[in-house]
Amino acid sequence: MSETNLKAPPKILILATSSCGYTGADATGQAHLSYPPNTYIIDVPSPCVFPENFYYRCLERGIDGIIVMSCGVECPFEGAYERLAAKLDRVSLGLKKRGIKQGRLKLCSVCTVCTKAFLKEVNEMNDLLIKEQEESS
Amino acid sequence: MTDLEDTQPKPENKKDEPRVGVYVCHCGGNISDVVDVEKVVAEAAQLPGVAVSRTNMFMCSDPGQKMIQEDIQKGLVDNFVVAACTRSLHETTFASLLARNGVNPYLLEQANIREQCSWPHHGQEAATAKAFTLVRAAVAKARRLVPLNPVRVEATNCALVIGGGVAGLRAAGDLSKLGIKVVLVEREKELGGFVRRLDALYPDEEPATALLSRLVEAVRTDSGIVVHTNSEVTGIEGYIGNFTAQVRKNSDSKAGEIRIEAGTIIVATGFRSYQPAKKELGYQKLSRVVTLADFNELLVASAGDSAVLEFEGKPVRSVGFVHCVGSRQIEGVHKPGENGNINRYCSRVCCTATLHTACRLRRRFPDMEIHDFYQDIRTYGRGHEDYYEQASKSDVIFHRYRAESPPRVAKAPAADEYNLLITVEDSLTAGEEIEVGVDILVLAVGMMPADNATIIDNLKLASSSDGFLQEVHPKLRPVEMAVNGVLLAGACQAPKDITESCASASAAAIKAAAILRKGYVELDPYVVKVDLARCEGTGLCVEECPLDGALHMVGEGNERHVEVNPAICNGCGCCVAVCPTRALQVSGWTLDQYEAMVDAIVADPVEVSS
Ligand SMILES: Cc1cc2nc3c(=O)[nH]c(=O)nc-3n(C[C@H](O)[C@H](O)[C@H](O)COP(=O)(O)OP(=O)(O)OC[C@H]3O[C@@H](n4cnc5c(N)ncnc54)[C@H](O)[C@@H]3O)c2cc1C
Ligand code: SF4
Ligand code: SF4
Ligand code: SF4
Repeated sequence: MSETNLKAPPKILILATSSCGYTGADATGQAHLSYPPNTYIIDVPSPCVFPENFYYRCLERGIDGIIVMSCGVECPFEGAYERLAAKLDRVSLGLKKRGIKQGRLKLCSVCTVCTKAFLKEVNEMNDLLIKEQEESS
Repeated sequence: MTDLEDTQPKPENKKDEPRVGVYVCHCGGNISDVVDVEKVVAEAAQLPGVAVSRTNMFMCSDPGQKMIQEDIQKGLVDNFVVAACTRSLHETTFASLLARNGVNPYLLEQANIREQCSWPHHGQEAATAKAFTLVRAAVAKARRLVPLNPVRVEATNCALVIGGGVAGLRAAGDLSKLGIKVVLVEREKELGGFVRRLDALYPDEEPATALLSRLVEAVRTDSGIVVHTNSEVTGIEGYIGNFTAQVRKNSDSKAGEIRIEAGTIIVATGFRSYQPAKKELGYQKLSRVVTLADFNELLVASAGDSAVLEFEGKPVRSVGFVHCVGSRQIEGVHKPGENGNINRYCSRVCCTATLHTACRLRRRFPDMEIHDFYQDIRTYGRGHEDYYEQASKSDVIFHRYRAESPPRVAKAPAADEYNLLITVEDSLTAGEEIEVGVDILVLAVGMMPADNATIIDNLKLASSSDGFLQEVHPKLRPVEMAVNGVLLAGACQAPKDITESCASASAAAIKAAAILRKGYVELDPYVVKVDLARCEGTGLCVEECPLDGALHMVGEGNERHVEVNPAICNGCGCCVAVCPTRALQVSGWTLDQYEAMVDAIVADPVEVSS
C-alpha cells in the first residue's frame, strides 16, 4: 500500500456476479440504502474466471479489501461455484503466507434482493479495514 | 501510481487506439442532485484515450441518443462509455443505438453511477469522486473492447418432445403446424398421460376421452410427427441446434435403441402423484381409504344409472374427502419423503378436482352424505369457484382442519353405522373435536415432480427446491430452461391443470419454432476464445472445464492446442483461470480488461487543467 492510501479511506473492490451480487447491489441502491462510497463494484458473469494471482495483484496494486459476491450454490454456471470456493480457500492460505490478513478477501453469497446481506458484508469489510489502518498508523 | 493505468495490453487487432466517447447522464436530478456531473465530464475528458466527453439531462431520451448518434456520424468516436443507470435497464437501448448506426453493439461499456453511486451515497464530494472512478474504470475497459459477433450454430429442423401427456401432445401438434418436424417419445404404451385416468374434466365437463382422442388423433395422423411409445430416453447430449438423444424402445416386437437428432427439446414429462406414507390417514392399512384418482375410476366403473354406489360389495352411504394430502406439508408435522424433503408447496389442482368430484357425486347420489375436510379452499381458476358454491349449496358438509392436526382415521366399531370413523378438530366449530362416520375416505393427493434424473443429469438442467424443473425467469422467460434450446411444457414445471399445461405447451412450441425456423441459431458471444500463438497445449483447461465437449485438444507435438466448441461453452471462465499462458479469454470479459479496471480504481485522482 502506498502512503497516500493509508490516509485515504480503504478501497474495497467488489467482484459481483451479474445474476446475483450485482443485482443485489442495484437493489440496495434502488432502496436508497446507504453504504460507504469507497466501494467499487465490478460486474462479473462468473468470478471463476480469475486466477489466484489476480487477487494478489489487486492487493499489491492498492486495493485494500476484496469481496466476491457470488450466487453461492445457486450459481447458474454448472460446477463453477465449487471451483471458486476451493480457489479462494487457496488464495486465503496464500495471503497468510504473505503475511496479509486473510480477512481482506471474503467470499459470500448475495442474491438479487439481498440488500441486508449486501450492507452487512460491505460494512463489515469497511470496519475491518479501518481498524487495520488505525492499528498500523 | 497514475502511470499504472496504461500498463495493460490493448487489443492488437486495431491499428489505431480506439477513441472513446464518454456520455454522462443527469437522469433528471437522480444522478446530478448528488454527483457533480460537470466535474465528472471534465475529468473524464483528461483520461487517456477519451476523445469526447459529454453530458445530457436524459441520455436514454431522443435528444440524449441523438447526441451520441451525431458523434458516430461525425466519426469522432470508436468505443463508447455511457455513465448512467444500471446496465440491465438500458443496455439494449444504447446497444441498438450503436447497431442502428453501423457500430458493433459490443463496443459499449456502462458505468453504473445511479444505482451504485448517486442513490446509495449522499455526500457530493465522495459521490462525485466515486462516479469519476467508475467512469475511469469503464474507460479502461472500453479502450480494450473489440467488436464481437454472435456465435452462429446450424440447427436441425426437428424438435424432440419428451412425454406424451396433454402437454406433450399439444406441443407436438402446434410445432408441426408451424412447419417443424417432431419426434414424440412416450414411456407408456399409450399416449395421454395422467388424463387417461380421468372422466369428466373441469372446468367445462368435457369427457377426458373426447379431449384425448382429439389430441392423439391430431398427432397420430400428422405425417410431420413421429411417435415412439413404450420408449424411454436413456441419454442426451449436444447443444442448441444439435442435440442427440438415445431412445430405448421397450415394446417386445420392436425392442432396440434408436438415435434422434433434434435442434430443440421440449420436456413434457408431467408429474407423479404423491404416494401417502404407510398408515398416513389410514392409507394402505384400511382398504376404504383411496386416492382421488382411484375414486374417480370407481365412479366410472359403477354403472351410470344405479341408484347406489357399491364398494367391496356394500352400498356406500357416506363419503369423505381430505384436501392437501402430501401438499403444504410442515416441518416437524410431516415425515420427509424418500428424497428427504417435505412438500411445502400447494398442488393447486386438488381443491378444484376434489370439489368437482364432490359435485358429480352429489348429482348422481342426491341422498349420499358427503364430507369435505379442508384447510383452505383454493379454487383459483376461471369457473373453479362455481364448484365450491355448488358443493356448499348442495349439502356437502365442510370441516376445516389445521395442518398441525390432520384428521385421524380409524376403523369404526362394528356396531357403528359407517365403516370408518374420522376424528377432526373442526375450526369452523371453534376447534371442537368432532367424529364423522364415512364408508370411503378419498385423499386428494398432491402432485410431485416426475423422475427426470436422466434428463437432468445429461442436460445439466436446474430444478427448484421443490424438485420441479425450473425456468429461467417466471415472468420474463417462463418456458425456457437456462440450458439453451431446452423448453418446458406442462406439469413437469409445477402443479398445473390442463388449461395451464396446454398454455405452456403452446408457448414452448412457439419458442422452439422461433429457434428452428431460421435454420440456425445465434448465441451470445461471451464464450471462450483461444489465442493459438499462446496455447502451449498443456490441456489443463480441458481438465478444469465443467462442461463435456466445450474444450478438446487437437494436433500433435508442437502443434497440439485446445479448440473450443462455442455452442457448448457457457463462458464460466474456469478454464481461463488455469491457463498458464493466458491463451484463453472469455470474449467481452477478458482478464486484461478486468485488470485495467482495477488499475483505474487504484489510480490517483487526475488534475483537471483549465
Ligand atoms: C386427481 C386429479 C384430477 C384432475 N382433474 C383435472 C380436471 O378435471 N381438469 C384439469 O384441467 N386438470 C385436472 N387435473 C390435472 C391434470 O391431470 C394435469 O394438468 C395434466 O395431467 C398435466 O399434463 P402433462 O402432460 O403435463 O403431464 P402428465 O399427464 O403427467 O403426462 C406426462 C407424460 O410424460 C410421460 N413421461 C414421463 N417421463 C418420461 C420420460 N422420461 N420419457 C418418456 N415419457 C415420459 C408420462 O408417461 C406421461 O404420459 C387433475 C389432476 C389430478 C391429480
Ligand atoms: S439513461 Fe438511465 S440514468 Fe440516464 S436518464 Fe435514462 S434512465 Fe436515467
Ligand atoms: S389445491 Fe387445495 S387441496 Fe391442493 S394443496 Fe392446495 S389447498 Fe391443498
Ligand atoms: S469458459 Fe467454462 S464452459 Fe467454456 S470452455 Fe472454459 S471452462 Fe469450459
